[in-house]
Amino acid sequence: MSKTLPDDGVIVVDNMSKAFRLHRSGTRTVKSAVVDLVKRRGAGKNMFWALRDVSFSVGKGETLGIVGANGAGKSTLLSLLAGTKTPTKGSIRTQGTISSLLELGAGFHPDLTGRENVYLAGAIMGLSRKQMRERFDAIVEFAGMGEFIDQPVKHYSSGMYVRLGFAVSVEVDPDILLIDEVLAVGDDNFQKKCLAKIEAFRKLGKTMLIISHDLGTIQSISDRILFLDEGRVAGIGDPHETIGGYRALSRARQTQGHEREWGTGEARIDDVVFENGEGRATDTFASGGAVRCRIRYTARKRIEDPVFGFSLSQADTRLVFGSNTQVESVRIDAIEGKGELVLTLKELPVAAGNYLFSFSLHSSDHRENYHRLDYAFSITVLSEARFEGVCRIPCSWEI
Amino acid sequence: MSLWPHELVKRRELIWILIQRNLKIRYKSSVLGVFWSLLGPLFLILIYSVFLGLIRVPIHLPTLVSGIIVWQFLAMCLGDSLQSILGNANLVTKASFPRVILPVSMVGANVVNFAFSFVVLLGYLLWAGTSFGVLWWLPAVVVSQIALCLGLTLIIGSVNVFFRDTEHVLSVVMLAWFFMSPVIYEPEMVMGSFPEWVHWLFFVNPMSGVLTGYRMALLGSDPVPPEMIGVSLAVCWLLLGIGLWVFRVSEPRFGDEL
Repeated sequence: MSKTLPDDGVIVVDNMSKAFRLHRSGTRTVKSAVVDLVKRRGAGKNMFWALRDVSFSVGKGETLGIVGANGAGKSTLLSLLAGTKTPTKGSIRTQGTISSLLELGAGFHPDLTGRENVYLAGAIMGLSRKQMRERFDAIVEFAGMGEFIDQPVKHYSSGMYVRLGFAVSVEVDPDILLIDEVLAVGDDNFQKKCLAKIEAFRKLGKTMLIISHDLGTIQSISDRILFLDEGRVAGIGDPHETIGGYRALSRARQTQGHEREWGTGEARIDDVVFENGEGRATDTFASGGAVRCRIRYTARKRIEDPVFGFSLSQADTRLVFGSNTQVESVRIDAIEGKGELVLTLKELPVAAGNYLFSFSLHSSDHRENYHRLDYAFSITVLSEARFEGVCRIPCSWEI
Repeated sequence: MSLWPHELVKRRELIWILIQRNLKIRYKSSVLGVFWSLLGPLFLILIYSVFLGLIRVPIHLPTLVSGIIVWQFLAMCLGDSLQSILGNANLVTKASFPRVILPVSMVGANVVNFAFSFVVLLGYLLWAGTSFGVLWWLPAVVVSQIALCLGLTLIIGSVNVFFRDTEHVLSVVMLAWFFMSPVIYEPEMVMGSFPEWVHWLFFVNPMSGVLTGYRMALLGSDPVPPEMIGVSLAVCWLLLGIGLWVFRVSEPRFGDEL
C-alpha cells in the first residue's frame, strides 16, 4: 500500500524492470553455481533486461491492448502481472482476482480428465467447489466438449484443449483478464466466440489486457494501446495513434530498408486499411481467403485519368503479383480532394509467410508518378495446407 | 507472505484437490488404485515375516516392520519432493497461487498414504499381540514427523529447481541416514557401547526420536530419556523453520528458472 502511487488504477505498474539471468548452459549444477559464486556473478553482466522502467496504470473496466515486436517483452509483462514472475525493480500493484490466458490449458494435467482439470483450475483461481459446480455446465457448453469432459485431456485434440482452457479462464469470472495471443489460435468459429466473449466481458466492466499481433482486431477492441519496444514503453494511448506509431516502426524494420516513398506529391495515398473476407480490419490473413484493401487518397489538384496500382511481394521483395487499374480496364475519370477506392483480391493462394504490399498512383502514360509506396505494408499469411513453392495452384490426381 | 497458515486455510480446497490429484496420478491406470497403499505394507509385513522366519535372523519382527513403515513415509516424501516444484512447472509458470501449496499437498498425499500403512501396521500389531506403551504422546510424534517431512520437502523441492544435482546427493544421503537411524535396529543395540554424549548426538538425528517415539507408544519398548526424544522432535520443527525460510527466499525466482 504505497502512498506515492495514484489509487485510481486496478493495475498500477510503477517504474518496473525485469531482468533474467542468462545461463550459459540450460540447467545449473553445483559446479556452475560454485563458479558463479567465485566469479561473484559479475553483477549485471549476464543479465538480460526484458523490461526496463515500465510505468502505466489501467483503470477499472478498461481494455488495454499491448503491441510490440517479438521479444519486446509483452508476454513477460503479462506473466509479471499474473504473478508468476517477480519484478527485479519497481513494483506492480493489482486489485481483484486475475485470470490469465497466458497459454490456454497449459496448467492442465494430461492424465486427469477434463472435469478434474476444470475443478483444479478453478481452485487455483481461488474458487470454491460450490462456485465451480455452478459454472461447470457453462464451461462445458462454451467449450463444446460434450462427453469428452470425462476423458483424460491427453486424448484431446489441440483445439479442444484450447477451447476448454479459454472457457475455464473466462467462466471463473475474474476481475482482470489477461489474454496472450488467444486470438491467433483455434478455428474461425471459435475465434468469433472468443471475440464475442471478450466483448461481453467489456460490457460487464471487467478489466482486460490483451496481447495480439492482429493489429486490426486489437485496435477495434482496446480502449488504449500500450506499445512496447525492446522492453521499454514506446507509446501508450489512443489505439489508432499508438498502433500507427507501431506500424510505422515495424514497417521500417520489417521492410529492412526496402521501403521507399516517392513521387511528385500532387496526389497522395494517405493510408491503406486491410480487411479480411468478413470485413474485419486485420493484417493477418488465411491462405486462400479474401483480402480487401481500402485505399484512401488525397488529390491536391484535379487529376484526369489516374492509375492506381499495387503489387504483392515476398518479404525479400521478390514479386509475387502486381496489377493496376489500367491493366484491369478500370477507368477512373478524375480524382480531386479526398476519396477512397477498394481493391479486392478474391483469394490469396500464397504460402504462409510475411508479404509486402506496394501501392502506386500514377498517370496513365506512366510519365508522372504522383505517389508510390514501395513495400510499405506488411501482412502475414497463415496457412493450414502444406505445399511447395510460393502459391497454391489447384490440382488433382487421377489414378 | 504467502507462507503463513491463514493462506493455507483459505486455500484448503486447492490443497485438497492437489492431494487427490497426486494420489490419482500415482495410481493412474492401476486396477486396484489406492488399495495399493494398503496392499503395499501388507505384503511388506508378509514377506519380512516369511523370509526372516526362514533364515532365522534373531530380530523382533514388530520392531523391524514398524521401523520400515515409519521410514517409508519419510523416504516417499523426499522422493516426491524433488518434483514438488519442477513437476508442476506448468502451474508455476502459468498461474498465480501460493507456491507453498505444492509441497504441502505433496506431503499431504503422502500423509494419506501413510495413514493407510499405519492402519495396516496397527492391525498387524494387534494381531501379533504387542503391548502398547504410552499412546498419548503418539500425536506429538506423528505431527513432528510431518513437520520434518514438510521442512525437508520445502528445502529439496526449492533447491532442485536451481541445482539438478540434488537428486543424486539425496539418494546418497538417504542411504547413510537410513543406517544412522534406528530403522532396522533399536537404539539400545548401538548405544550401550558408547559414552552418553554420543547418545545425545544420536538423537540430534530427528528420525532417531521419531522412530523411538513410535516404538515406545506402539510396542511399549524400553523408554529412552524423554529429553533425548525431545531433542529429536525439536530438530524436526527446526528443519521445518529452515524449510520455510529457504522456500520463501527462493520462491520469487521459480518463475524465471522453470
